[in-house]
Amino acid sequence: MLFSSIPFLFYFLPVVLLLYGIVPKPAKNVVLLLASLFFYAWGEPKYVVLMVVSILCGYGFGLLIQRTRGTPWAKAALVGSVAVSVSFLAYFKYMDFFLANFNAVTGLQVPLLKIALPIGISFYTFQILSYTVDVYRGTVPAQRNLIHLATYVCLFPQLIAGPIVRYKDVAQQLEERTHTWDKTALGVRRFTLGLAKKILIANALGELCSVFRASGDKAVLFYWLYAVAFSLHIYFDFSGYSDMAIGLGKLFGFEFLENFRYPYCAASITEFWRRWHISLGSWFRDYVYIPLGGNRVSRGKWLRNLLVVWLLTGFWHGAAWNFVVWGLYFAVLLGVEKVWLRRWLERHRAVGHGYVLLLVMFSFVLFNATDLGEAGRYLGAMFGAGEVPLISHEFLYYLRSYAVLLLLALVGATPLPKRCVERIRRTERGELVLGALEPVALAALFLVMTAYLVDGSFNPFLYFRF
Amino acid sequence: MKLEQLRAYATVGIMGILLLGLSIWCWFKPVDSYSDSERRVLAAFPKVSVDTVRSGEFTKQFETYTQDQFPLRDGMRRLKAMTNLYVLGKRDNNGLYLAEGYVSKLEYPLRRPMLDHALERFDVLMERYLKPHGAKVYLAVIPDKNYYLAPSNGYLTMDYDTLFDTVRQSCKDMEYIDLTKRLSLADYYHTDTHWRQERLLPIAQYLAEEMGVTLPGSGYTVETVEQPFRGVYVGQSALPLHPDTLHYLTSPVLEECIVTGYASGTGKPIPLYDLERAKGRDPYEMFAGGNNPLVTIENPNADTERELIVFRDSFAGSLAPLLAEGYRKITLVDIRYLRSDLVGELVDFHGQDTLFLYSTLLLNNSTGLQ
Repeated sequence: MLFSSIPFLFYFLPVVLLLYGIVPKPAKNVVLLLASLFFYAWGEPKYVVLMVVSILCGYGFGLLIQRTRGTPWAKAALVGSVAVSVSFLAYFKYMDFFLANFNAVTGLQVPLLKIALPIGISFYTFQILSYTVDVYRGTVPAQRNLIHLATYVCLFPQLIAGPIVRYKDVAQQLEERTHTWDKTALGVRRFTLGLAKKILIANALGELCSVFRASGDKAVLFYWLYAVAFSLHIYFDFSGYSDMAIGLGKLFGFEFLENFRYPYCAASITEFWRRWHISLGSWFRDYVYIPLGGNRVSRGKWLRNLLVVWLLTGFWHGAAWNFVVWGLYFAVLLGVEKVWLRRWLERHRAVGHGYVLLLVMFSFVLFNATDLGEAGRYLGAMFGAGEVPLISHEFLYYLRSYAVLLLLALVGATPLPKRCVERIRRTERGELVLGALEPVALAALFLVMTAYLVDGSFNPFLYFRF
Repeated sequence: MKLEQLRAYATVGIMGILLLGLSIWCWFKPVDSYSDSERRVLAAFPKVSVDTVRSGEFTKQFETYTQDQFPLRDGMRRLKAMTNLYVLGKRDNNGLYLAEGYVSKLEYPLRRPMLDHALERFDVLMERYLKPHGAKVYLAVIPDKNYYLAPSNGYLTMDYDTLFDTVRQSCKDMEYIDLTKRLSLADYYHTDTHWRQERLLPIAQYLAEEMGVTLPGSGYTVETVEQPFRGVYVGQSALPLHPDTLHYLTSPVLEECIVTGYASGTGKPIPLYDLERAKGRDPYEMFAGGNNPLVTIENPNADTERELIVFRDSFAGSLAPLLAEGYRKITLVDIRYLRSDLVGELVDFHGQDTLFLYSTLLLNNSTGLQ
């Protein structure tokens, strides 16, 4: 079920909020768990079983690790947990990729499995892994209450597209959390703004990308427009979803960590990845990069660590070579930055901003390509390869048609609007006006978005496929 | 009480009431079966079964159902259209745009497979029914409203030159009649795709002249349909638009004409202008039987024995009556509703003049031609 859909907003959410509000405290997690299972089953009825089995495995291994702590059995249990989780992921997400490449290399014709990817499997698998690893490390005690653990794994606000919530960050909240008017109001505001980012900006830019891909009137500048539009689209789509998840979390008393911090304002690729999909980056840092030795090893090993982490990051995003190359691309950029460019970029931030925007934009052209061939064609065409004209009628039309939206998106991707609001709020009158206007503005925005949902059909979530 | 606290109460209160109010309305609103503004059947509650739930079909259809049945659907669609056009500055909303007081839909790009399909159908009719009888065959393509509206206002249009050239080159056995210079934007409705019958007399005379027939074109009276004409784009655009006025032309000759429709396979008398249909969901269907597969217009007062067969779409329905005074009988054939291979069973081909009269809209969306 999509957050940005009428069934979620006007059928599912009100019922869950009401039930959650009226049941006594001990039953609140049961309501959330049942609601989350229903939420997942709505889109993936057959894969609920897979998720439940994953949860049961995580629960069992967690307890086993705790019980055998200090013995070799604890490590064996951890290895078992990782093996089960990774096997599920490998089978359901990557098997066809492996088979296709095996066939290509050997010339054999092993039939592909053609398994539909279970939505959110990459996210909930990583959550379960972080739980068992943290239990093994002794960072958190194993959760004895299956309802609590299951609620953590399949909590619907973050189940299918993150952020990847660590167990240790919400362990206490699963048992005891507060609900205040302030927190609820913040949740409402965050959710509504996330919904607006998704519906008003991301969906519209997604349409522009679709128009471009279908166009028979491409031009060099149209390729550039597409690259800009997709870079903004993926940011507003994913950060909008994260905002909605964080907002919904607050409505149910949870505090999830931020997942985006204006990544397009970064002045280096290193900084970009500290601001983009923070929960994934920190997951790989804490569970792969640092255990491998991080940067406190020889330069050769450190570069190997970087390569491993970014290969996995690319592969996590999808079972295709363009994602692998996408990950390697960032490994190279980060390596170059750390060895040579970092200091220079810190001194020349203006250049750094341009450098980040350009290189990240190229990366997203690669990311969104159907295969490496298309990525090559698109990137080449951006520089005039393939006898593409400089401009075309379609480019001019869509540039004019989306100019306001692109401008809004560009400004919205910076902290400028937030700073403006904060500046107004600092004055007494501004605080008063904003205080009065905010609820009305949110309600109006919500109505406008509802109108878009009633009349809309273009509403995919990019990160669902991961 | 602190301002922060008040704001929190107001935010939660207002949004809560809005969400809950709209939800209750969604849950308990009576189901609408048809949208007059969009001229389509609305989705009903989907069938619940193990199969539909397991396959995900139920959830997909339920989403469509909730969209179609949402309270104040037309108002919501209007809000979205106005936000898109006037706040976000988009040039069109769902492909519909406003320019010079007209609303139109982007017809872009030229779809070669569609055009080829239409031309292939024409060829089938030509080879099977027309060539064997040595009929004189004419072809005229009606440019849609975008031809006159879009380029000057910066909107995308199909490649009309290629379309017209392709049609000419593919139909070498037909005599091509160019209408592009005979029409102007004023000949079309503001809120509909179609042209206005009351402005078509010169077009009818020109077509007839090109086919070797002289139409006096006198004695016509312009009549007006009482109900305002809300063209197809009123509902599709969801914008607050002034309706058009639907006019039609009558004359003593037309009043004497015998019109027969073959919607059910057998001929039944029908009115040349169906004023009941003019009050209906698609008022433009009032002309010559509307979406009728086969219609004949017989003129008992004709001073000629010439007959004309018109292969046509809805544009030709309003034009055909104006040709009636030049022919003993006009047969209107619509191969959207009658398979080409069955036409011969209903129409007696014996060398009548034949006119293919189709709009660019149909040629670019020809899947319906059978």
